[in-house]
Amino acid sequence: MKITYNWLKDFVDIKIPAKELAAKLTMAGLEVVALEEKAGDFVLEIEITPNRPDWLSVLGVAREIAAITNTKLKIQNPKGKVRSAKGNFKIEIEDKKDCPLYSARIIRNVRVAPSPEWLRKRLELIGCRSVNNVVDITNYVLFELGEPLHAFDLDKLSQDKIIVRRAKDSEKLLAIDEEERNLKSKVLVIADRNKPVAIAGVMGGKETEVTTSTRNVLLEAAIFDPVVVRRGRQALGLQSEASYRFERGVDLTIVEKASLRAAQLIQEICGGGDILFLSSGLTKPKEIRVDLDTVYVAKILGVKITRPKIKQILCGLGFKVRQKSKEVFKVGVPSFRQDIKLQVDLIEEVARVFGYDNIPASQPAVKPEITVREKRDLVSAIKAILVGLGVNEVATYSLLDKAVLNNLDLNLTKPIEILNPLSQDQEILRPTLIPGLGRAVSFNINQKQDYVSIFEIGNIFLGETKPKEELVLGLALSGTNSFLLEQGLVKDEAGLLNLKGILETIFLRLGIQGYEFNNQGALNCAIRIQNEKVGLMLGLSPKALEGLNIKNREVFALEVSLDKLFSFVRPDKKFTPLPKYPGITRDISFVLKDDLSVKDILLALRQKGQPLLNDIRITDYYKGKQIPAGFRGLTLSCFYSSNERTLTEKEIQPIQDLLCGTLMQTFGVKMR
Amino acid sequence: MDINAISTQIDLDIQGVHSSEGLEEFRLKYLGRKGVIAELTSTIPSLSKDERAAFGQQVNSLKNRLLALVEDKQKTLSVQSENTTYTSFDIGMPGIAQGLGHLHPVTQITDEICSIFSRLGFSIVDGPEIETEYNNFTGLNIPLEHPSREAFDTFYLKDYAKLLLRSHTSPVQVRAMQERKPPLAIVVPGRVYRPDAVDASHSFMFHQIEGFMVDAGIKFSDLKGVLEKFAKAIFGNTINMRFRPHFFPFTEPSAEVDISCIICKGKGCSVCGRKGWLEILGSGMIHPHVFKHVGIDAKKYTGFAFGLGVERIAMLKYGINDIRLFFENDLRFLKQF
Repeated sequence: MKITYNWLKDFVDIKIPAKELAAKLTMAGLEVVALEEKAGDFVLEIEITPNRPDWLSVLGVAREIAAITNTKLKIQNPKGKVRSAKGNFKIEIEDKKDCPLYSARIIRNVRVAPSPEWLRKRLELIGCRSVNNVVDITNYVLFELGEPLHAFDLDKLSQDKIIVRRAKDSEKLLAIDEEERNLKSKVLVIADRNKPVAIAGVMGGKETEVTTSTRNVLLEAAIFDPVVVRRGRQALGLQSEASYRFERGVDLTIVEKASLRAAQLIQEICGGGDILFLSSGLTKPKEIRVDLDTVYVAKILGVKITRPKIKQILCGLGFKVRQKSKEVFKVGVPSFRQDIKLQVDLIEEVARVFGYDNIPASQPAVKPEITVREKRDLVSAIKAILVGLGVNEVATYSLLDKAVLNNLDLNLTKPIEILNPLSQDQEILRPTLIPGLGRAVSFNINQKQDYVSIFEIGNIFLGETKPKEELVLGLALSGTNSFLLEQGLVKDEAGLLNLKGILETIFLRLGIQGYEFNNQGALNCAIRIQNEKVGLMLGLSPKALEGLNIKNREVFALEVSLDKLFSFVRPDKKFTPLPKYPGITRDISFVLKDDLSVKDILLALRQKGQPLLNDIRITDYYKGKQIPAGFRGLTLSCFYSSNERTLTEKEIQPIQDLLCGTLMQTFGVKMR
Repeated sequence: MDINAISTQIDLDIQGVHSSEGLEEFRLKYLGRKGVIAELTSTIPSLSKDERAAFGQQVNSLKNRLLALVEDKQKTLSVQSENTTYTSFDIGMPGIAQGLGHLHPVTQITDEICSIFSRLGFSIVDGPEIETEYNNFTGLNIPLEHPSREAFDTFYLKDYAKLLLRSHTSPVQVRAMQERKPPLAIVVPGRVYRPDAVDASHSFMFHQIEGFMVDAGIKFSDLKGVLEKFAKAIFGNTINMRFRPHFFPFTEPSAEVDISCIICKGKGCSVCGRKGWLEILGSGMIHPHVFKHVGIDAKKYTGFAFGLGVERIAMLKYGINDIRLFFENDLRFLKQF
């Protein structure tokens, strides 16, 4: 909201420069976001929090300034002779809940013309366009006192009554903004005998607006229910200075003052004869009283503020303060402070004016809970492993478009849809991380990255009877990773075995045992731990790659449920005594057919070599010129040891022979 | 053969050795299977008894001298060869090591903040991203039909009534206070969602950290103390702080917390909008209505709560000017952190 320094001075003596005033207001909760010197005045732009509709006026801000600078507010109570309009005119309110108070003044024989310079300038400084003198006066009083007013051309109304009622579904209204609106029963309207003439609390109608040809004016000042105004303007998709204030709540007691002030300004500026007045509804709100225990003030704030100081602060803000007992005040809340309901609300008022800066800083005694290693720690551990393996963490959106799932060959259940997405890419909650990762890979390929290795740990969302969130790890690799070694450049093209190696590292680190990788189609593996499926890894299909706009590149991805995986974590470690006797290493080199699984070979040899065969590992692996097509060359290094004695060659030879025999007979390998 | 002549020849020959190959040649000539020493030894049986012992001793001492010479020469040669390798080595080549990956900046800032509060004795708790309307609004004293809700515009789920994507991490306050008894000191990091049009400073998804503390005797001054420790830990000891009255439905009194601009040191620049201050978080004393909703006796217990945007802190700390960069996942961006 914009407000000017000179306008404020009409209501309160300000003895500090505008800049200092802005700083003081900010520290009292009226954040001044901009201060501009303009046309001999200063324009302050203030952010008003939604709990303080009373600050949405010059009067309200002036009242605050009076309280924080400890000066008195200059209140001008307009007085004047007013005749009743009864007999000539009737106000009908369909439901007093929608409209607790409606008042009308009739001013005849006005001369509608451009506004005088001073009025036009004040409005323009705060960003309000000048229309004509009558309309400008209603706006001026709205900004000054916070009560939205509306002036009708009386002669364009059926001149017997004003009705405040809900609109009928077929009704239409051309509003002042020149747009025709289809009304609904949600919308409260002002109507004459025949038809709606204004959207109550939001905007007037074009047909009955005040123009240069207007002679007689009906000036409306009312209170409309905040929720009704809110629903109505949401249904019609428009907002105004009036609706903004009604939605937040307008002070009942300002209605008549504002109406009279505007009527008198009209008389003064636009001529005009007698003012006739008619009102229907509530006139006096119920006073709210709240007890304030001054001991509790110190308990909440952590600083002792004296009772006289508390009283002075509250009185300055317009509260009525009476002593209830030695330590307790009974505080009467003024009608413009509908936000004050509880003791803590008053404590905030005291703290604000006392100054948050004057409250000391203290350290609370924390009683920490020491918990065991939780999910979060495991997630951090996995992230540390992945980063150590050269994988980069990404963050992709949890919301996706539906179409992206079509190209993926994943068996997904129906995803959870969003009721009110702003755009197509927010249609569903992601049921898998793979499309998001795929897009991140695609983006980086477009940035000319030779090698992309990324992961994300986050929730996926599954639409079951109740929506379910599952924490998963997703990882994607694409391209060629190059390592410059002393021998030269070594290139490693990403593939499923890289994904497998990464997972194995994680499993080993977290003490997860009994895991398996099972082919379930070309380039597609299920990941199981102790027979439970925890995820999958795959090479994205040509169709999926096309959907991601990836050309001439392969992408390999995995997704593993961490919620499932965490139940297999066995972080407890047990020490195995180090071997006392040296062992013996023997190598076996052979040529193996491609369709045989190394996993099966290792398993068989481990079994045959028991109990002296302690370890067996691959020390060379070769495919190429020296090996016939469809075969690969392999060297296994077998390590034999015993905890009881130093082994001799003689003991080892029969086992080694047995292993070679098994290789040849069971797996048909050729020794090299 | 004259032992003395051989001995002189040895001295000459060893001086001519400058490489390990030369040394091997030398060794073979004298100490090899058909070398000089072997030859001399083979003549021993043909000598007379008297001569044998003396000659044998001479040959033996000659052999020992040769062994020592070879060993010494080996040492000098290996030192020389080390020296030659050293001069031809280029330390300007890139070092050989497996390159590390990078944690996302949001993770790094979240971890840093959680670690600060951990050290202050807070526990870290997670909450679901799909929330009930009650936990997101009503339980936090946010009326469903009031402008104060506008700051919390929300994505709703289509086929599940009254379920939504949380628009802040505060609903975890409601959950934690229902599940546990005071004293409580908890921080909650997580994703939140708001249907905001995306631009350089708005995203429909971002990360928040919520923190709160509930116990008998928790005061506003404690809130100031804890947040001051936090802000100085993350932005450095030289910053100034201010607590500015504000409004949040779930706290009363409420405060926004500003730090002196870390770019211009409070003088006023484009980052802080010439104000000299940067807003970093919202906070306040937990509203009695929130306590009522979760069944905590507001007469016995008080508490404070605060919430902050992780991307905002990361943007300030790293000088990032566009929130969209966090979710674009450009490796050239991610690898800077």
